[in-house]
Amino acid sequence: MTVTVIPEMTAGTTRATLRRNFWRGVWRVLCRKPSRMAGVVIVLGFAVMGVIGPLLYPANLPRDDNALYAPPSLQHLFGTDFEGTDVLALVITGARYVLLTGLATAVITVALGTAIGLFAGFRRGRWDSALMRLTDLNLAIPGLPLLLVLSTVWKFTSPIEMGLVLGLLGWGGVARAVRSQTLSLRERGFIEAARGLGLPTRHIIGRELLPSMAPYIAMNMLIAVTGAVYAQVGLFFLGVLPFDANNWGVMLNLAVFSGGALTTPAALPYLLAPLLAILLLTLGIVLIVDAMDEIFNPRLREE
Amino acid sequence: MKRLAAIAALASIATATACGSTGQENAGQGGIYTTIDGSKQINASAPINPFNPVGSVFDGYNGMALAWPKNDPIDPNQFYPAIARSWTSSPDQSEVVIHLQPNARWSDGKPVTSEDIRVSIGLAYTQGGTAYALDPKAAGAAATIQVVDPTTIRITQGANKSNTFLSNLLSTVVVPAHVYGSLLPRDFWQKLKLAQDGKGKPAEQAKTEITGLADKVIGFAPRQDVSAGPFVLERINPGAALLKRNPYFYDSKLIGPDKVELLNYTGNQQIWNYLIAGKLDNAPFTSVPSAVLDRIRAVRGSQVIKGFSPVSTSLAFNQARKPYDNVHVRRALAYLIDRAQVTKIAAPEGGTPSLTTSGIHAEAAKVWLGSAFSGLDPYRLDPAKAAAELKAAGMTRRGNKWALPDGKPWKVEIHVPASFSDWISAAKSISSQLTDHGVDATVVTAADYTLYLSELAAGKYDVGFWLMGLGPSPYNIYQRLYGQANGWQMFGGRLEHVAPGTEGNWMGGPETVDVAGVGRVDPGALTSRLSFASAGEQKQIVGTLAKVSNEQLPVIQLWDYVNTQFVNTSRYTGFPPDDSEALRLSSGVWMQLGMIRKRQA
Repeated sequence: MTVTVIPEMTAGTTRATLRRNFWRGVWRVLCRKPSRMAGVVIVLGFAVMGVIGPLLYPANLPRDDNALYAPPSLQHLFGTDFEGTDVLALVITGARYVLLTGLATAVITVALGTAIGLFAGFRRGRWDSALMRLTDLNLAIPGLPLLLVLSTVWKFTSPIEMGLVLGLLGWGGVARAVRSQTLSLRERGFIEAARGLGLPTRHIIGRELLPSMAPYIAMNMLIAVTGAVYAQVGLFFLGVLPFDANNWGVMLNLAVFSGGALTTPAALPYLLAPLLAILLLTLGIVLIVDAMDEIFNPRLREE
Repeated sequence: MKRLAAIAALASIATATACGSTGQENAGQGGIYTTIDGSKQINASAPINPFNPVGSVFDGYNGMALAWPKNDPIDPNQFYPAIARSWTSSPDQSEVVIHLQPNARWSDGKPVTSEDIRVSIGLAYTQGGTAYALDPKAAGAAATIQVVDPTTIRITQGANKSNTFLSNLLSTVVVPAHVYGSLLPRDFWQKLKLAQDGKGKPAEQAKTEITGLADKVIGFAPRQDVSAGPFVLERINPGAALLKRNPYFYDSKLIGPDKVELLNYTGNQQIWNYLIAGKLDNAPFTSVPSAVLDRIRAVRGSQVIKGFSPVSTSLAFNQARKPYDNVHVRRALAYLIDRAQVTKIAAPEGGTPSLTTSGIHAEAAKVWLGSAFSGLDPYRLDPAKAAAELKAAGMTRRGNKWALPDGKPWKVEIHVPASFSDWISAAKSISSQLTDHGVDATVVTAADYTLYLSELAAGKYDVGFWLMGLGPSPYNIYQRLYGQANGWQMFGGRLEHVAPGTEGNWMGGPETVDVAGVGRVDPGALTSRLSFASAGEQKQIVGTLAKVSNEQLPVIQLWDYVNTQFVNTSRYTGFPPDDSEALRLSSGVWMQLGMIRKRQA
């Protein structure tokens, strides 16, 4: 009689192996299309810009009084602004506020939307009705006009404040989608099994439902960053938020209204630099979302 | 010298006009003149009513006043005739007799009479105003209005005299009695007398009834335009207003174009684009960046006319807040700001750096002060002097930054409205300059100008941008510094100084100050005196107030505006020259003065 000894695999080892496999899969997906790698490089570049960008320049950016709206040159790749300050330096030092706002907005949008959507979808009944009416209310609030009104009483000096307001205004769509997915998933066999085993609700939601929706939530989080960037840059462009010379929206505003960038080419680089930064950031995020789609969607992976 | 040049230019225009009108009455006439109204945007749904702030009545075209003010640097009583052909005034302006144009007619053919002026004045009472105040103790309020004959009207001033009475009277907007007369109740003039001369409840009730008519007057919408001006409204849409010639205009032969098209705009950019496209024959003062100006200049027929504009921009302090209550701090900041640099960045084409802080536009200051102007401290950029002033104020240097006397960090917040791009650029330049010299400064914007003014009046700002030097009346000029915003107000005909932070006193300056060589003065009382002082006394008071402003610096004068007008001579010629006294008036008034003629092929 032979005895087959099955090596004991601890839960920790299993998880580590899964994690390793997951990251290998991620790497494979990224390598499959160079554009995806470019997306990662762009987003990482912006992250680095946000973290160390302001450290690369003095607190008061140098000005050249004799080079107001100077054209692009080797010294000033995107020319200078109305004060003779290097436009590229403004874009780099201004990235932190934009990215922090985007991040704060994304976290709040996704956290609130997911929590409300999961809870409503799982509980159903009165909780579902109440939370979905709240969601409808959130979706019905006209964001921009409300922000314009709020800006008269709230100065939004910190990116977290800005992100908080944008996040509180933007969770409705995520909540609705997460609820729909929850309603669908809760009828599946594995959830039925978990219920049958008497597992607590917290476990079912946290360990069974949430991981199934993680890809969707992660993608929404990235898309929320782009939404937040547009919203805050738009508000700064309209001139309703506090002035900060290196804010991308303020740069756009000054390029158009002070420099006449839409009328003459003199201030065009001043306009294009922040626009290019926004475009690149959006592009990077979109390319990563494309990769994530494949990572989390087995059908696409098989192709 | 500039004034002489302006007078000479005007004389040459008058000569040219006289020459041009002999024999060839149709020469130089015809075509559609295209421009914008610099004072308001077009609102197609607004009534054709000059009392409505957005009404479709445009000054100089289908909107007429008794007379049009000249751009004189110091005399507010210089006017060009309009509906009033001429006027006489007693030396103290206690009585003004106005003679109307004998041939003036409304666009429906009815004559313009003294009764129209009387009704117009009655309607002006419902809106309130300096000359038409219901309070008989108010300075410069009219007392009696008497129709002498169909083209002559006599108006007397109340007991509290003002030397701007004539100016305020001549600025009266004129409307037809047969259209607007029904807005005034039959017993209006009795009620007005009761409101002005009566006492107690009946007088108060009469005042309430008259002021209660304001909304009715503003909302009144005549079915069609009845104009005494050279044009009458033909049609209006959200993009433009089209006006056609008024065949009954008293000086019709002087009017060049057959029609005038006033284009709508939503911002300066749209005006720049109109100018670059060569669409406009004239655009009034518009803030323009240098690069855009170069493009406008390159357009065929494009010309830029420049002249005096009695307005300056300043950085004002809330002296009720520390450390701005200390004059040494204000002086230190003045020594740290390079005004030439600020102007180069913010208003390269529309302003000249202020030579110093006197409270008055430099052009007017030179006339008012003469050689004394050069005796004022110019506050040239001088960091050493600034450091000495800051030390005198007890400020301390912590590392490379200045701190408050108690050692706390000093943060200068410069407030500006977000809609004024030139002010934002200027504020940023100032904050950069101050930061270079160890003063931690930032720019804070308010969402719009209305909010900015309300927050400013509520005393929420330490330092903010402020328009000043609004001449030519010296009283109006110094009202900006020593008027309501700084605590001086008229209560029942008596001047009082209210505490900082109350009744709109956001500047919070002291009621009296010591002035070197003069002694202790009350700048608010001196300013109030300017409204009725003789010319000689005015000069003396202006000299003292300029000195007070220069020493005390309630504001730092940054730049003096230059009126920059754009014209295109491709279709019309005869525009006013640089420094013309008519420069700040609309093209419609230029036409009334015989200036605009169609270019002959």
